[in-house]
Amino acid sequence: MPDMRFAPPNPLRIADRASGLNSLSVRSHNERLVLSLLLQNEATTRLEIGEKTGLSAQTISVIVRSLEQEGLVVRGEAQKGRVGPPTTPLMLNSEGAYSVGVSVGYRNTHIVVVDFIGNVQHQRVMPHKTADTFDVPEALALEIHQAIAGLSESRQGRIAGVGLALPTPPIRSGPDHDVLHRYLETELGLPVFVQNDITAAAGGESLFGAARQLQDFLFFYLGARLHGRLVLNHQIYNGNSPLSYDVGVLALERALPAGDPISAKLWEQHPSWPPMGSAFTDWQQACAESLIKSTQALLQFIELKTVLLSSFVPPEICTTLCKLVRQEIPSIDAVIGRTFAAPKAVGAASLPFSSRFMVH
Amino acid sequence: MTRTVLCFGDSNTHGQIPGRGPLERYARGQRWGGVLESLLGPGWQVIEEGLSGRTTVHDDPIEGALKNGRTYLRPCLQSHTPLDLIIIMLGTNDLKRRFNMPPSEVAMGIGCLVHDIRELSPGPAGHDPEIMIVAPPPMLDDLREWESIFSGAQEKSRKLALEFEIMADSLEAHFFDAGMVCQCSPADGFHIDEEAHRQLGDALAQEVLAIGWADA
Repeated sequence: MPDMRFAPPNPLRIADRASGLNSLSVRSHNERLVLSLLLQNEATTRLEIGEKTGLSAQTISVIVRSLEQEGLVVRGEAQKGRVGPPTTPLMLNSEGAYSVGVSVGYRNTHIVVVDFIGNVQHQRVMPHKTADTFDVPEALALEIHQAIAGLSESRQGRIAGVGLALPTPPIRSGPDHDVLHRYLETELGLPVFVQNDITAAAGGESLFGAARQLQDFLFFYLGARLHGRLVLNHQIYNGNSPLSYDVGVLALERALPAGDPISAKLWEQHPSWPPMGSAFTDWQQACAESLIKSTQALLQFIELKTVLLSSFVPPEICTTLCKLVRQEIPSIDAVIGRTFAAPKAVGAASLPFSSRFMVH
Repeated sequence: MTRTVLCFGDSNTHGQIPGRGPLERYARGQRWGGVLESLLGPGWQVIEEGLSGRTTVHDDPIEGALKNGRTYLRPCLQSHTPLDLIIIMLGTNDLKRRFNMPPSEVAMGIGCLVHDIRELSPGPAGHDPEIMIVAPPPMLDDLREWESIFSGAQEKSRKLALEFEIMADSLEAHFFDAGMVCQCSPADGFHIDEEAHRQLGDALAQEVLAIGWADA
């Protein structure tokens, strides 16, 4: 039996110096640990990675080198500390990976392409011909193809996959979720990851948005209805709860006189809404009360510091709702989401990254 | 608390001046080990162990058994323990015609040294020290009067970095390719000059600090 110490070297990683992303199977648990930290922090150091993961400096050195070669990670400028030697921060390379996010909503389907740190590179809205119906997977595949074609060729090779955010329960007249999943995977030749749309939006804020550094927060999505998700230790709890409150945009629309031209504007993205009188103020009050009640109910079980409100409705309205929550519960910091361009679609786009690069 | 770095190398760690006689050596502050120490600053001590002609694991049939890096490494480690970091930059002399070694075997020699270090555990409190494998910069094509001794080594020297990195990956050691920051001097084609020493010392200081040292 030969002395195995002197067997030919067997690198932990594939010493793959080709450009592009390594295949799914070679991403080890330790590599995911390191990437998770980088995805959750704007910058970190090898020392911090060691402290948080318990991996040895030499193991981290091997992993970081491989991630650098793969183009996923870049080194920042060495920072002179007040005490001790300078530290070299590590961060994600924004151009290291791309992802496509699709959210199928009540009236619109949104398609986005984001880079590795969540910057939206491309955004498209496909309005549904009839609300609550979606039956055009071919048109969606075409839109995704076009979105991908907008990236340079080298970037196209760095697409981690397609995230699909779908409502629960499913939209009335649409293909079965599994059927759509398989259709897109075959049509696009990319891995497709499916998640409940509200959970995806919470995940998007957690990975790219206002909650990036937050371990725990309460997430609300204000859409047609008001939905909530609880995020503890970066994990979204009770991922698919169908429970929601009828204090969303749908309730406001109902409160407007039938045929009011304003109602169509509510569903599009605008910097502000036109004046709507008491219908609006009543709705805003009801919505704020629902937010406050849900938060208070949870506070008796968990010590939470942050509530995050994500929505496509004008940011100034979300800001007011947050202010009302803070007034009622001073211990809570209520903030608006940062992915408001398309919260569910950006959330969907975070799925391929979290599935392929993070520990679960 | 002082952290100690051992630089285990050959003539390019010794500071042999390219194209000059065997007794001509750069001063401490000009050599990469000295540059490294001054950049790391107070709290760090750099020990240079550079021997001209040193191989990874071979007794040299002409220059003598004393050139064998493996036999010298153990007493050297024990003399200097505790060591926080050991930087190994060897491999050029293994490429001499007389040894007839492919680049992969030179990397195996480096691997032996890593195993030997870990067997002795000369780190603080009997732990393993950090180990950094540094691939020497590739040789130039024109080796002047050394051509007959090294004949054919030039091409092999360009493959050392990849073989060393694969070895570093598989043994989980730090790695740096000196060829990324400096070149050999045209004066003899395989020694590094003062500028290259400075470039290497600069780069290694950053590499050493990037490892991350708790309350250094």
